[in-house]
Amino acid sequence: MYIIGENIHIISEKVKAALSEKDTKFFQDLAVRQVEAGAQALDLNLGPRKKDWGEVFPWIVKTIEAVVDVPLSIDTTNVEGMEAALKTISKAQPILNSASAEPERLEKVPLLAKKYNARLIALTMGESGIPVGADQRVNIALEKLIPRALEVDLPIKDLLIDPLVLTVSGCQQYCPELIEAVRTLQYAWDPPPSISVGLSNVSNAVPRENRPLINRTYCAMLMGAGLKMMIADPFDAELKEVIRVIETRDENTSLGRLYLKLHDRIAAMEHLTPEDVNMTDAQQVSIWKTVQILRNQVIYADSYLQQEAA
Amino acid sequence: MPVEIPKDTWAGQVRTITLGATAAEGGTRSHTVTIGGQKSLPFMHFEHEAPYPPLVALEIKDRRPDDWSALLLERWGDVVNAPGDWAKAAEAAGAELIVLALSLTDANGEPTRPEAAVAATKAVLASTGLPLIVWGPGQAEADNELLVPVAEATKGERIAIGLCEDKNYRTLVATAMANNHLVIARSPMDVNLAKQLNILISDMGLPLDRILMDPTTGALGYGIEYGYSVMERLRLAALQGDGMTQLPMIVTPGYEAWKTKESKVGAGMPDAWGSWEERAITWETITAMTLIESGADIVVLRHPESVRRVQTAIKDLNSVREMA
Repeated sequence: MYIIGENIHIISEKVKAALSEKDTKFFQDLAVRQVEAGAQALDLNLGPRKKDWGEVFPWIVKTIEAVVDVPLSIDTTNVEGMEAALKTISKAQPILNSASAEPERLEKVPLLAKKYNARLIALTMGESGIPVGADQRVNIALEKLIPRALEVDLPIKDLLIDPLVLTVSGCQQYCPELIEAVRTLQYAWDPPPSISVGLSNVSNAVPRENRPLINRTYCAMLMGAGLKMMIADPFDAELKEVIRVIETRDENTSLGRLYLKLHDRIAAMEHLTPEDVNMTDAQQVSIWKTVQILRNQVIYADSYLQQEAA
Repeated sequence: MPVEIPKDTWAGQVRTITLGATAAEGGTRSHTVTIGGQKSLPFMHFEHEAPYPPLVALEIKDRRPDDWSALLLERWGDVVNAPGDWAKAAEAAGAELIVLALSLTDANGEPTRPEAAVAATKAVLASTGLPLIVWGPGQAEADNELLVPVAEATKGERIAIGLCEDKNYRTLVATAMANNHLVIARSPMDVNLAKQLNILISDMGLPLDRILMDPTTGALGYGIEYGYSVMERLRLAALQGDGMTQLPMIVTPGYEAWKTKESKVGAGMPDAWGSWEERAITWETITAMTLIESGADIVVLRHPESVRRVQTAIKDLNSVREMA
C-alpha cells in the first residue's frame, strides 16, 4: 500500500496556527515524522490561499523539501497556487491534487500536470456533483478524465483516478458503491490508470473514538477490491497493522484472520458472513457491525456499535 | 394474459405499540389503540396484511391558539377556550387519538404554570375516553417543567409524551419510565439521527415498545419529499431487520400544512386558487395521505374535514383487498 500522508491539512487547528506563524520547524517535524511512519508521499493541503498563494505555496514546498525527499501532493483548488508550487519543486515527481470533470478544472489542471511532469489525481466528480453509482463514477473516468489526459498527452501511468470516498455518516449509500468503483476502474483502460482514494473521509463527522475502526475496516475492504494507494494517516498504527496483515497474509491472530477473510470475501465478490465471525469476541463483533454499516446494510448511527448485531 | 404481481418477503417487522390504558390496565381510558406490526410497505396487502391501520389524531391546545388560522378557530368555535370541551368535540369529529399541545405562555402572557398544564390534561382525560398524547411547548426547559408533573399526575395512563430530542430527552424518558408512559422521539429529517436517538433512549432502559418516532416532515410543496424519503428509508430498514428503526412513526401534517401560505392566506390570491377553506383542507389531506403512503402510523391533523377525508382514504385503500 502506497500511503500519501494526510496530516499537513489546514483543517487541523495546529496546522492552521503554524501556518499563520510560518512555523518552519512544525511543518518539517510533521513531514519527517510522517515519512518515518511510512508515508511514501506527502499531501499538502493549505486551502486555496486566495490572497497569499504566491508566497505560501513556494514557501511550503521549500520548507518540506529541505527535510524529506518524497513526492509532494499539491492539494488545492487554486490553479495559480498549484503552478507556484510546481515551479519550486526540485526533488521527486510531484502529484497534483486534483482535477475533476468540472469544466474549468478538467481544462486547466491536466495542462499543468503535463507542463511540469507531475502525476495527476483526477476526481470522478462532474458538474452535477458526485454520482452515487459505481458505474456512473467509472463512466466519468472513461468519458472525461482519461480522454482529457490523452488529449494533453499525459502518460496514463501518471494519472491517478480518485473515485471519491464519502462519509458513512450522511452519505452511507456511497460507501459500497465506492468499493465497486475501485474494482471496476482497474479494468477501465489498458494500461490501467492508478487508483487513489482519501480513506479518512469515510469517517468524517463520526465521533472521534469510532473513526480508526471504520477507517481500517474500510481499508481492508478496499484492498480486497484492489486498492494499492491512498491518502491516509500514517500515524494510525492499527491501520498499518491491518495493511501489513493483509499484505503478508499473516494468519497468526484471530483478528488478523478476520481482516484477511473480509479482504478475501470482497476480492471474490462475496460478502463477509456471520459464520466468518466469532460473535463471542467483542472486537470481531465490532468489525462485523462496521462492515454492515459500510455495506449500507444497517443504517449508520453514532452509537451503531451499541446496537445488537443483526 | 395472467399478470403475476411480484411480492417482497421481508425479514423484519415494525414493533406493535399500544397507547392508553383502561381501568383494568391501570388507567382510565375507555379503550386503547394499537399501531405497528407491519411486515410490508403500506397497503401492500398482497404481501402481508397490516394488522393495524394508520390512525388519525386531532391536535388541540390548552388554551385558545391565537396564532392558528381563522378557518380553524371558526370551525371549532367556542370549544377552543376549554381543552375538555375541545377534546370532546375532537372525539365527535372522529379523532382516534387526542394530541394536547401545551402552550408556552398562558392567556396573560406569563409562562404556563405546571398546575395549569396538569389541569388541562386532566380535563381532557375526564371528557374523552380516547388515548392521549401530550406535547410540551417545544422548548427544553419549559417541556421538562410542564411534562414531568403532567406525567406524574397521569401515572399509568400510557400517554405518549414529547417531544424528546437529542439535546433534551433524559428528563422526559426518565419520567415516562417512572410513570408508565411512552415517549415520542423527534429527529430533524435525518435517518442517522433518528436511529441514534432511538439508541440513546433505549439505552436509558425504556423498552422499545414505548417509543414512537417522529422523523419530522414538511408540508406539500415545502419539503415533503425529504420527509417522505427519510420515512421510507427508515421503514425499509425496519423491514430489512434493523431493530433500532422498527418503531412506529408519528408525523404532524396538520401543523406543517397550516403554516403554508396556501392554507394561511385567504385574501388577495388568484381566482384559480379557488376556495380558501377547500384549499387548506386539501393541503392538509394530501400532506397526510402522502406521509401515510411513506409509512406514517399516526398523523396529527387540525381540521375535522381533513380527518374525515383521510379516514375515508385509509378505509378505501384497506378495502382493496376485498376486491382482490
